[in-house]
Amino acid sequence: MKIELKNLSHTYDVEVLHQLDLVLENYKSVALIGVSGSGKSTLIRIMSGLEQPTDGEVFINDMSVKDKEYRDHVGFVFQSHNLFPHLTLKRNITLVLEKTRGIEKKEAERIAEERLTQLHLEDQMDKLPKNVSGGQAQRASLARALSVNPDIIFLDEPTSSLDPILTHEVLTAVEELKQLGKKFVFVTHVMSFVHDFADYVVYMDDGRIVEQGPPSMLDNPKTDEFKAFMNKVR
Amino acid sequence: MKNRTKVHFEKNAGTYVAYVLAFLTIAAFVAFVVLSQTEEFTLSGYKTYQSLIVEGVGNTIYVSLIALLGSLVLGFILYLMSNSNIKYFKALDDVFTEIIYGTPLLVLIIITTFLISPAFVDRINRLWTGIIALIIYMGPYMKNVYKSAFSSISREQYMAMDLFGFTPFQRYRYIIIPQVIRILMPPMMNNFSLIIKGSALLNVLSFNELYYTVVVAQSKTFLFIEGYVLMWILYLIITIPLSQFTKFIERKWSL
Repeated sequence: MKIELKNLSHTYDVEVLHQLDLVLENYKSVALIGVSGSGKSTLIRIMSGLEQPTDGEVFINDMSVKDKEYRDHVGFVFQSHNLFPHLTLKRNITLVLEKTRGIEKKEAERIAEERLTQLHLEDQMDKLPKNVSGGQAQRASLARALSVNPDIIFLDEPTSSLDPILTHEVLTAVEELKQLGKKFVFVTHVMSFVHDFADYVVYMDDGRIVEQGPPSMLDNPKTDEFKAFMNKVR
Repeated sequence: MKNRTKVHFEKNAGTYVAYVLAFLTIAAFVAFVVLSQTEEFTLSGYKTYQSLIVEGVGNTIYVSLIALLGSLVLGFILYLMSNSNIKYFKALDDVFTEIIYGTPLLVLIIITTFLISPAFVDRINRLWTGIIALIIYMGPYMKNVYKSAFSSISREQYMAMDLFGFTPFQRYRYIIIPQVIRILMPPMMNNFSLIIKGSALLNVLSFNELYYTVVVAQSKTFLFIEGYVLMWILYLIITIPLSQFTKFIERKWSL
């Protein structure tokens, strides 16, 4: 995939991203790391088209995130699963496919079952979100994101609301998907996952990109900020 | 696994016994109160007035149902006003709600019938002024039911709807309304129970509801103690199944 940030700034009440420039090409999974409030979640939301930047441009695979059609090309998984709570795991997927992608019911069901099975949820698909574990719900939301066949899947701290065992469960599922050729941009605090899974890492602090490079940079931080961060998360 | 089931059963059995004992305690108290005032307690004296009292029960349910529907509509209008961008509507809802909260239901019934209605109609229909008073009284409470139901749909869900590109119609039809109805049901039924109990006050308008018909029968049988017990039991026969059903719905439909 190709990611381009051109002079990207974003302001809520104060400016949280300051004139970011970045060009990344041919990476399959990019990790955004940094302390809370560093701007990484804002950046991933802008890159996914969930929020519009107040200044500058973002192109993903040569497509502007401002394009209306851009959203049809991405999947997004939130910190806590945001499945629709009144629908079964399967219906959460078929509703999206039938209503927003115009796919026929039978075909939608086939896709939903395939995706849920891929994420080891074949026995849970007819349950409501409240009746499955947090890890299972998060995997179902991953299945839902995958079902629309996105070019890139964005994960915003997908395991931050889960305990270590469930975290492992979700991250294993993500790794399996990478093997199948899916592309990811993700925010996480689990450094071992960044190490094993990412092929490019962007470290952010105070709305700026401070360091970037292959995952080996985690072992050898150059700036003081990154050193301090690595000491904290280790 | 077997052990767990057994423990579960024992806990249920204990709860069951506790409830039976609690019921018997109250029943014994009522029996003491009644029997200390009358030697022979029987409801048979009210047999003659059976059809009158059944009509009263029917009327109580009838006016309560209409008041429920009316207050659902008024509550929704108030909800829309409270969410409006027009300041006047917001203020109107606020002032109205505050006034209703401060008014006893009995006073509201009297005011609606004898102060407000005469300004609009020549012949007052007491059935309808009573129902209107109930609707006005419950409107703000129903507004709160809508408020909590709509606010319980999380921001994340709206983001998911955005992300997948659901149209506004699809959002309401498939995602928002089905959830709102589930969340709204139990508090709405609690309000229905409030309406049924409140409708007893319509007796001040000499309207033939449950309380009034029993009082009329009492004045003929002179069986006062039996009459009070009868009306009490009749209200409980309506309200307790309703509240049990509400609890059932709450369990079944929780999200």
